[in-house]
Amino acid sequence: MRPEGILATFGVDWSHLLAQVISFGIVCVILYRFAYRPVLVMLEARRQQIALGLANAEQITAELARTEAQRQEVMVQANAQANTLIDQARAAAARVREQQTQKAIAAAEQITISAREAAARDHDRMLAELKREVGRLVVEATAAVTGKILTSEDQRRLAEETARRVAA
Amino acid sequence: MKINKRAKREAEQLFRLCLVNRGLDENRVRHVVQRVVAADRRDSPAILSHFWRLVKLDVARHTATIESVTVVPADVQAAIEAGLMRRYGPRVTTIFAYRPALIAGVRIQVGSDVYDGSVQARLTALQKSF
Repeated sequence: MRPEGILATFGVDWSHLLAQVISFGIVCVILYRFAYRPVLVMLEARRQQIALGLANAEQITAELARTEAQRQEVMVQANAQANTLIDQARAAAARVREQQTQKAIAAAEQITISAREAAARDHDRMLAELKREVGRLVVEATAAVTGKILTSEDQRRLAEETARRVAA
Repeated sequence: MKINKRAKREAEQLFRLCLVNRGLDENRVRHVVQRVVAADRRDSPAILSHFWRLVKLDVARHTATIESVTVVPADVQAAIEAGLMRRYGPRVTTIFAYRPALIAGVRIQVGSDVYDGSVQARLTALQKSF
C-alpha cells in the first residue's frame, strides 16, 4: 500500500496536523518556560539545599567530635590542675602547720625563759629583802646590847681611835 | 630674800674687812653690822643676810663639835683638840656635846668634815652593806 493510502486511511490532514504540531509546540514551550523550568530550578535548589544540609551535618558531626575531644582534653587538664592545686594546698598546709608548730615551740620556750627569769628576779629580790631584814635585826639587836656591854675601857679605846683619825 | 650680785660683792668685801690674821674679829663684825644698819640703804637687808651667811660659814669652819655618849677622858680630849688645831689651825674652838644615839664612840664635825668613830655609824655602814 502507498503512503498516501495509509495517511488517507488514518485520516491525516496535513493542515490540521501542522496546526496541532504548532499548537503542541507552543504548549510545550509555554510549559517548559513557565512550569518545567521553575520546577527544575526549585528541584535544583532543593537538591543543593539538601547537599548543603548534609555537608553541614557532616561538619557539625566533625565539630561535635572535635569539641568532645577538646572537652576531654580540657577535663584531663582541669583534673591535672586540680590535682596540682590539691598537692600545692596540702604542701602549703603542711608548711603553715610546721611554721605554726615552730612558732608555738618558740613562744613556749620564751614563756619558759621569762618565767625562769621572773623567778630568778623574785628569788634575788626576796634574798636581798631577807638580807636587809636580817641586817636590820642584827643592827637593832647589836644597838640594843652594845651600849650595855661596852666598858669604860672600850669607850676610851673608841674615842682614842677617833682622836688618831683626826691627828692622822 | 633675793640677793643680787652687787649686795653679795659688798658683803664679801665687808667680810674681808673683818678678818684679822686670817681670823674673824668679832668687834669688827659688830661694827660692820652697826654701820650697815645705820646706813639704812635699800639693799642693807640683802647685804646683811649674805654677810651673816659668810660669818656663819666661817664660824662653822672653825668650830669643832665633839659628840659622845660618855665623858671623854681629859687626855683623849687634849689629843683630839691638838689634832684639830694641827689640821684646822689654832682658831678652832671645840664644843663637847652628849648624844646617846651614838651608842658608843666619838663623832667630830668641823664645818662639812665629819670624823665619825661611833658605834652607830659602824652599825649604819653594816646595815647598808646588807
